[in-house]
Amino acid sequence: MKLIDLSKIPHSDDRFARFLDDVCQSLEFDHASYATFNPISGAIQGFANYRTDWIMHYTRKGLHRIDPTIHIGRKSIAPVDWNRLERTPHFQSVFNDAPAFGVAARGLTVPVRGPYGDVGLMSVTRDCSDQEWHLLKKKVIGNLQVAAVHMHDNVMSSDLPMAALNLPVLSTREREILQWVAEGKTQQDIGDILAISHRTVEVHLRSARTKLGALSTPQAIGRAVGLGMIKPG
Amino acid sequence: MIIVIDALNRDRFSDLVKEMFRLRARVFRDRLGWDVTITDEMEMDIYDSLDPAYVVSLDQDGHVVGCMRLLQTTGPHMLADVFADILEGEPPLRSSQIWEATRFCVDTERLSRGSRATNSISYVTSEVMVGAFEYGRDAGVLDAVAVIDPVMNRVMIRSGNAPYDYIGKTVDMGKAHALAALLDCSNERIDRIRTHAGIDGDVFLSDAEALSLSERGKALRTESVKSDLEIYCDEQIANATTAKERVDALRLKATLVEKIRSRTDVDA
Repeated sequence: MKLIDLSKIPHSDDRFARFLDDVCQSLEFDHASYATFNPISGAIQGFANYRTDWIMHYTRKGLHRIDPTIHIGRKSIAPVDWNRLERTPHFQSVFNDAPAFGVAARGLTVPVRGPYGDVGLMSVTRDCSDQEWHLLKKKVIGNLQVAAVHMHDNVMSSDLPMAALNLPVLSTREREILQWVAEGKTQQDIGDILAISHRTVEVHLRSARTKLGALSTPQAIGRAVGLGMIKPG
Repeated sequence: MIIVIDALNRDRFSDLVKEMFRLRARVFRDRLGWDVTITDEMEMDIYDSLDPAYVVSLDQDGHVVGCMRLLQTTGPHMLADVFADILEGEPPLRSSQIWEATRFCVDTERLSRGSRATNSISYVTSEVMVGAFEYGRDAGVLDAVAVIDPVMNRVMIRSGNAPYDYIGKTVDMGKAHALAALLDCSNERIDRIRTHAGIDGDVFLSDAEALSLSERGKALRTESVKSDLEIYCDEQIANATTAKERVDALRLKATLVEKIRSRTDVDA
């Protein structure tokens, strides 16, 4: 998966919208959106690449206050397929008008929980058959998890007090493994050197990438070097 | 059979959730001697209020016989806090593709020690694991870090489900210890556990199926109240001081048995 790295883009207003476009492009969705409850102000902040008239309609009617994909989705630890949501009056209020704006009710919300009680929700939609939807979910769900946490962490750190809290804290093992990767060792080599399984190496790398807000291991190394956590290889 | 209970369907399963908390009290306080908080014979902590997902195994009578709690490692979870000793002061793993599993236990009083029967300790242990791994896999999760006790660790090793590694160290939790194991949510592992335990087909119940199993179980258990009635009848028979009293007591019992039997026939 090749997604644009949000932290590399200058802090412009449209970088989050561009990331959502990128998610749709690379993971084959029609639309993507992201919403978060700011843990400090309590406000709901969001980004979406839906048609402008739908966003206007949604905002004007204050649908974010009742949208079950946000308010129910946030309570799950696993991605919530919208077909699991009960067809409550709130669901109807949000989705009855949606088709007129080109928005399908076939979607999925990926909840991300942050360490300070912050929650972010990345939702994606696609108008397609059951079969196609099922296969697509299976294919992209892992990448969607990575994209969702990347988006969430970057939105959180665009908020100054949260940015101060979110400085990456790597474990000794994670630093050690990043250092070996920087020096050109493979995961198998590193497993042998540290006498741990290569899957353990992968787990620590995955965690280090998340903590450093990186989408790839080279990005993670660059950032760790930049922060003085490891030495250049 | 497995039902996944989370904040979306929890209000429909409040009885099962309570039963699970009671099972946890029996296991973690009574058997393992962990320093856990018990309220009304139920073991609950703050992580239960953070909308976790529970993987719950129900037996044929609708009893909770096994359970596990899952949380995301990107947010608050036990290794970041309560179990920080295990990591020896190191920060925990953080990834949207790694979940934390805690409070994994089975009901050793209700389950048998045999190996392949569906009501055995090893079958239910494997079933909970299969449920958790399949639920995680479908959510895009690749690995789980599970806080377990050494006995559970041994059961897992013997069920084709050995952790591929451990992180941190084993810590003292009171009478028993706790350690953090790494397990991949891969099809290979799921297949291995399924083959070992003889688990075929879908392990998941729909909400409706789990509710009806739980209701049916409750109805069955209500019938067992009749054994109190039986005790009463037997007491009447035993305490009879005259021949007439004794005959009356025997007749009463016979009549009740007949009535109950015919009702069961109708039910069947």
